Amino acid sequence: MSRGSWIFILSLLGMIGSWFGTVLYPQIQLGRMVETRTVPDGQVYPVARPGLAAQGREVYRSQGCYTCHSQQVRQEGVSVGLAITKVGTNQTALVEAILRIAPQWRRDQVTAGLERLPFQVMDGVAAAEAERARRPLEAAGATTMVTVRPVGADLARGWGLRRSVAADFLWDHPVMLGSQRVGPDLAGVGSRLPDENWLLVHLWDPQIHTPGSMMPPYRYLFEVRPAAEVASQDALLLPEGKGPGPGKVVVPRPEARALVAYLRSLEAKAPLFETPVILPAGLSGTSALSVHAAVERP
Amino acid sequence: MSMQSSLDPQSVTDAKAGQVTVPMWLVVLLAVLGYWGMVYFDHHGGWFDARVYAPFASVSVVNELQPVSGAEAFVNRGRAVYETTCALCHGSDGQGKPGQAPPLAGSDFVLGPSGRLIRIPLHGLTGPIEVRGQVWNLAMPAMGAALSPEDLAAALTYIRQAWGNNAGPISAAEVEAVKAATAGRTLPWTAAELKSIQ
Ligand code: HEC
Repeated sequence: MSRGSWIFILSLLGMIGSWFGTVLYPQIQLGRMVETRTVPDGQVYPVARPGLAAQGREVYRSQGCYTCHSQQVRQEGVSVGLAITKVGTNQTALVEAILRIAPQWRRDQVTAGLERLPFQVMDGVAAAEAERARRPLEAAGATTMVTVRPVGADLARGWGLRRSVAADFLWDHPVMLGSQRVGPDLAGVGSRLPDENWLLVHLWDPQIHTPGSMMPPYRYLFEVRPAAEVASQDALLLPEGKGPGPGKVVVPRPEARALVAYLRSLEAKAPLFETPVILPAGLSGTSALSVHAAVERP
Repeated sequence: MSMQSSLDPQSVTDAKAGQVTVPMWLVVLLAVLGYWGMVYFDHHGGWFDARVYAPFASVSVVNELQPVSGAEAFVNRGRAVYETTCALCHGSDGQGKPGQAPPLAGSDFVLGPSGRLIRIPLHGLTGPIEVRGQVWNLAMPAMGAALSPEDLAAALTYIRQAWGNNAGPISAAEVEAVKAATAGRTLPWTAAELKSIQ
């Protein structure tokens, strides 16, 4: 055979191979995906978005929100640690045991930590080390928990508890992952900003809550009406001096309400097999999560 | 002009396709690239498993980070089996229900030899029995006969270790052994029969 046909056959094989790996096989795996269950509670996940939120997804799409917002949280690793969830009866023995396995603590810090359970004794250690440290603490009567905390730059910004996975988007057609982050990622916006009025005000005028925001106002999703005509619960609650003038109120159109319902349905925090998260109730994923919310909330 | 000289028939006939050996550095570079590609795949490919995402390298890594593993997972599975097949009569707290089923917490049948305990759910139990000093005379159907050996072993391990009980675990192999030894039996056990089993 001539060299030309060899080159042809080999490049064809190369292309078929990569097509198989990057297109066909992922399609077989993800195209047939069905709901999974959360770990360890076994709840069905994800549940279809409720009707209003499903309409809001179309608004999100038609307004092109995805051109400036991604919906895809990335994760760089996990940090394994050990937390105490219950002290037990022998606190003195427990304090001694903690100081032995985690010498970086001072005695008064440990005592203070045990007052405010859960207490993260160690973090960022190997799984085997956490498992080993567990035994002396349990022997001292404590109830402990090996914690697995997803970490990464996106998570430190408070954008989510864990990375996004395919299951999060099961009911979304099309999946609006976005490709640019002019604004913050929205994969977990429903957990971080659950307040409906806050989100509506942000759509009406982004400058009110986040001065200097690059986001354009979406005024046409609202109507300005005489206050006398509108039931008070339908009107937007605007801060003093930001309203449309005396005797007038801002009323969100149905599109704005649907869009906000959609945003509030974006949570992406369910613990799944593919994204292990183990945190006792009361320990947040990233401490930045609460800081971020405190900065952005009024 | 050089154009013309290259079209000169004399020089065309002189031209030959030479054999140039591939330079060694290219071979080495390709080998290094190939090796790097394989290492990269090993770290990031997850062997094409849909449950593996970055930053995890393989299913086993994800598995190790799951909320419970090993003995704890076995007991958890046991709790789930118990709640669905046994708790209706014996109660989620293992204290039994008056007139319906005796307690499992602190019962000698539960804490005693594993051979006795395994036989009870496999074929049922009938007639008078004594649990924690109280006599019961009821009948338990063969609730565990349809369970897989692993599920039954997990449930029995759970009742041996829950509610303050403190007896050793029961393995699926033990359950299978008892199943084999009692194959063909249809009648429920009585307390007297069980007493003779060690
Ligand atoms: C339909 C109700 C019912 C269900 C379901 C049931 N049991 Fe029982 N169980 C009984 C009764 C009734 C007795 C007492 C029998 C007797 O008096 O001879 C009993 C007795 C027992 C005993 C011995 C007495 C004691 O309290 O220690 C054990 C052990 C036991 N059951 C285990 C189980 C296990 C394990 C399961 C689940 C696989 C189960 N049972 C499901 C009704 C039930």
